[in-house]
Amino acid sequence: MRAAFSIRPVAMAITLALALGPLPTAYAAGNDEAALRAEVAELRAQLIELKHEVQQMHAAPAAAAAAAATATTASTAPASAATLPANADAASLPGAAPMQSSILNTAASATTLYGYGEMNYTRPTKDKSATQADLARAVFGFIHAFDENTRIVSEFEWEHAVASASDQGEAEVEQLYIEHQLQPNYGLRAGLMLIPLGLLNEHHEPTNYYGVYRNFVETAIIPSTWREGGVSIYGNTEFGLNWSAGVTTGPDLSKWDPTSPEGRESPLGSIHQELQLAKARDPSVFAAANWQGIPGLTVGGGIFTGKIGQGQPGFLANHARLLLGEGHVRWQTGPFDLSALYTRGTISDTENLNLTFIGNPTPAPKAFWGGYVQGAWRAWEHDGAAIAPFVRYEEYNTAASYEAIPLGLGVDPLVTSKLWTAGVNYWLNPNVVFKADYQQFRSESDRNRFDLGIGFQF
Amino acid sequence: MYLKVAVHASMSRVIRCVFTGWVLASCSVALVHADTAAVAVQLATPSMLGKAIFFDESLSASGKTSCATCHDPAHAHAHAQSNTLAVQSGGEFHDVPGFRAVPSLRYLNLGIAFHFENDGTPIGGFNRDGRANSLLEQAERPLLAPHEMANGTHADAVARLANASYADDFRRVFGNSVFDDIDRAFFRMQFALEKYEVTDPGFHPFDSKYDYFLAGKVKLSAQELRGFSLFNRPDKGKCLGCHPSTRGSDGSSPVFTDYTYDNLGLPRNTAIAANVDPAYYDLGLCGPFRTDLAEHTDLCGAFKVPTLRNVATRQVFFHNGSFKTLTDAIRFYVRRDTNPEQFYPLDANGIAQKFNDLPAEFHKNVNTSEVPYDRHPGEAPRLSEDEIADLVVFLQTLTDGYDALSNTADPARSLTK
Amino acid sequence: MQLRWLIPLGAAAALPAYHAAYAVQYMSVEQAQRAAFAQADGFVDVPLTLTETQRRALDQAEAALSISAPKIWQARTGQKNLGWLIVDQVIGKAEAISYALALDNDGKIIALDVLEYRETHGAEIRLPAWRKQFVGKTAQDSLRLDSDIRNISGATLSCRHLTDGVRRLVQLYAQVLKPTSG
Repeated sequence: MRAAFSIRPVAMAITLALALGPLPTAYAAGNDEAALRAEVAELRAQLIELKHEVQQMHAAPAAAAAAAATATTASTAPASAATLPANADAASLPGAAPMQSSILNTAASATTLYGYGEMNYTRPTKDKSATQADLARAVFGFIHAFDENTRIVSEFEWEHAVASASDQGEAEVEQLYIEHQLQPNYGLRAGLMLIPLGLLNEHHEPTNYYGVYRNFVETAIIPSTWREGGVSIYGNTEFGLNWSAGVTTGPDLSKWDPTSPEGRESPLGSIHQELQLAKARDPSVFAAANWQGIPGLTVGGGIFTGKIGQGQPGFLANHARLLLGEGHVRWQTGPFDLSALYTRGTISDTENLNLTFIGNPTPAPKAFWGGYVQGAWRAWEHDGAAIAPFVRYEEYNTAASYEAIPLGLGVDPLVTSKLWTAGVNYWLNPNVVFKADYQQFRSESDRNRFDLGIGFQF
Repeated sequence: MYLKVAVHASMSRVIRCVFTGWVLASCSVALVHADTAAVAVQLATPSMLGKAIFFDESLSASGKTSCATCHDPAHAHAHAQSNTLAVQSGGEFHDVPGFRAVPSLRYLNLGIAFHFENDGTPIGGFNRDGRANSLLEQAERPLLAPHEMANGTHADAVARLANASYADDFRRVFGNSVFDDIDRAFFRMQFALEKYEVTDPGFHPFDSKYDYFLAGKVKLSAQELRGFSLFNRPDKGKCLGCHPSTRGSDGSSPVFTDYTYDNLGLPRNTAIAANVDPAYYDLGLCGPFRTDLAEHTDLCGAFKVPTLRNVATRQVFFHNGSFKTLTDAIRFYVRRDTNPEQFYPLDANGIAQKFNDLPAEFHKNVNTSEVPYDRHPGEAPRLSEDEIADLVVFLQTLTDGYDALSNTADPARSLTK
Repeated sequence: MQLRWLIPLGAAAALPAYHAAYAVQYMSVEQAQRAAFAQADGFVDVPLTLTETQRRALDQAEAALSISAPKIWQARTGQKNLGWLIVDQVIGKAEAISYALALDNDGKIIALDVLEYRETHGAEIRLPAWRKQFVGKTAQDSLRLDSDIRNISGATLSCRHLTDGVRRLVQLYAQVLKPTSG
């Protein structure tokens, strides 16, 4: 836990100083002895209160019992006088605490640092030579508050440990936006922010999901960690609805590489721009909502849509439109954590573009989808530590259909990948997790693998 | 608009005026001689001088050979239809035989300097062995080589240039005393040629049927589409492995070369005079015309991947002109390893002498792992005869100067733009 | 768990100029008081001091306080006690959550309100449906997340720590306020 501290004595001292401030003017103006006496009495009361406070901090326990008895009655009068503004109606609420949150402003720092990391080890069962250990992510971020209502949220990431021109790692900015709370129940965001679709994208820390790797549906179809630049409005309601909507940048279809397998691994992942000198001719919009009115149950969904040709001169798919929708439900009851998600995306108008890609292995798909069901059971927990075995069944297809190509020169749609993942998460405490799992594919056995992972967040 | 004008006046004309100005430059230009003034306007840039030099036959020992003689602009800047010689002859009397087939000069403006990538792959460069690092450097050899324009020395070449009809313009652009320094003048001759090749749109028109197809303006025929598919398919032609057919990530049109080198193990062409000597081998990257990579013996026999644009207009194919038709050239790719007897001479035992244009110790350098020439004897070739025909028809769509109305392409049309 | 209600003054000295931190204030203390005890005509400040015995008892109940001393008021109508309102803070993930717990005279939870929330995620603990789970619980009830109190997906840490905080406060009532109440 972070050590916080009380500035109440300081606040009291300030109040005292402020109370003393008007004194000279009062003196000059009124010169009324009675008023003066009242003033002095009030100051004395405040002083006692302040002394009392300081005593509390230094008080030995032995003296406390006596102090408690006397203080309970003694502090009644000073409390009522000291904590009311000078011109308040004293009869209305004797002893009411101050309106503002001076009690509660116990030194929340203006800047908070946070982060997470994950390391994993993978061993394909059919090809031991491809065994790999990797520092998948090292992430840190800061949140800086300008005032009560406005702050910056940021997240920076290194992937695969070493990022340079000749290494395979990447260093990137994952989030960087300003958040401004307009009312307690809604606010605005602007900058590079996470798209609020799916269960994983906004809660992608390793301690927040089951299994060593993020599930395939929410990496191949919903390209976690999916972020776009733009503005959004978000809010929540009393009856449990969290919603957000925004206008952002979108993917760039002119980046599609038909010769590379990347488009088959993740269609949107291969054309996302991540606000890196992003082509922004065509904005995208999103809207998402989650309902959590019943504790333990989350039901939600969202859509993201926009034209993704980005108006490039001579590009044959300038009218192509992406539409991605998803729906999910999660139910946590007792030791069980059950979730299910389905997502489907379509890209329109790729026919002419794919005609220029004939013969290549990776034309642009028309539709892609994925879904999973997952169940976890917290078998044991004690004081923050927990062990939860889980099982997950996923199906996904990154190219379920293509626009028609003449003469049979197109490629066949991909076969849907189907896989089981079974494993266990062991939380040493809510912020540190050790994971192990085994992933078995129904018809692609060379992808079967055994994984181990370490993850933490702070 | 930013306008920069530099005008040089000859000595006897007093005023020399050089200035830069915004928008319209109203420059009080000192009047030069009225007759040369008109010519000065025409050949006021290095590129225009380069064009004059490119067509100037007097710049050769024979007095009848210019760059354009072998690099005929109307034939995609390679040699003309009627000429089916494997290599050309040059020299003063047109009797000194050459060594390598004439390449097209089109689309070289996008070339890059020779270098090795991080993984050791050689890439870039000009000439079939990449020994020149720029078009400027490359321009030297044809001017001097005894089997080409045979000027012999910089001095001879410059002397001929000084006698050319545009010599005054050359002075105007590069300075009055330019001919006083031989090497300096020769360098500026190379510079002018490079500027011409880079700026003249006739060298890189991108107006083939394929370009219109990429722009969505024209449809390919069924056979062309089939050929295009075979070109791209990783299990059929996979030609795009060295000859990329897709737009660059910046939207740039494909040039159909990745500027790398490949060793195809071509049959020895006895029509090349130098090949009479059995000890002579043209080894490309490791010699004999470049010597800096002699110790890179793994590169012996590798030659630059040229662009496939306008390939259908060629009369001879590959660096040694060993094939005369595009169909034969593609058949070599497809059947080199399944039917070597169709391409190589047979030895006493009736066995094809594969890779006979390489010394025995370099046979292992030949590329035998890439589609489509990854076959073993007895295996079926990756393309059938019909498919080869389809591929040829597709490659014809890469010819410049396409006219949609007549559905024909002629590289000479690109020049009039 | 260590008894850490003694605040290190050194930290107070280390604070540079007072910097308002991001905090969405949903309710003030006064509003929480009025909402829980509508008929009260006064709230008496109850300063918190613990005897050694009390401290040990709290330790044993795994309910030692942390972060900062909670502020306690006793709600009164005239001379009659209606109950207590305790304002406390817990850390969600990295930021403090200020909340108010209202207990009736017998130490049963009447209401739980979130006063200020600072995290980027997890404000779902404000949901009335989630907070209602605490109503009616006493110090005799085990208050464990997931077994007695349902979790909210996406707000796990906030839920957990707020549940822990409420559990501490009811134990505080049981060990300290109940014996000394008049």
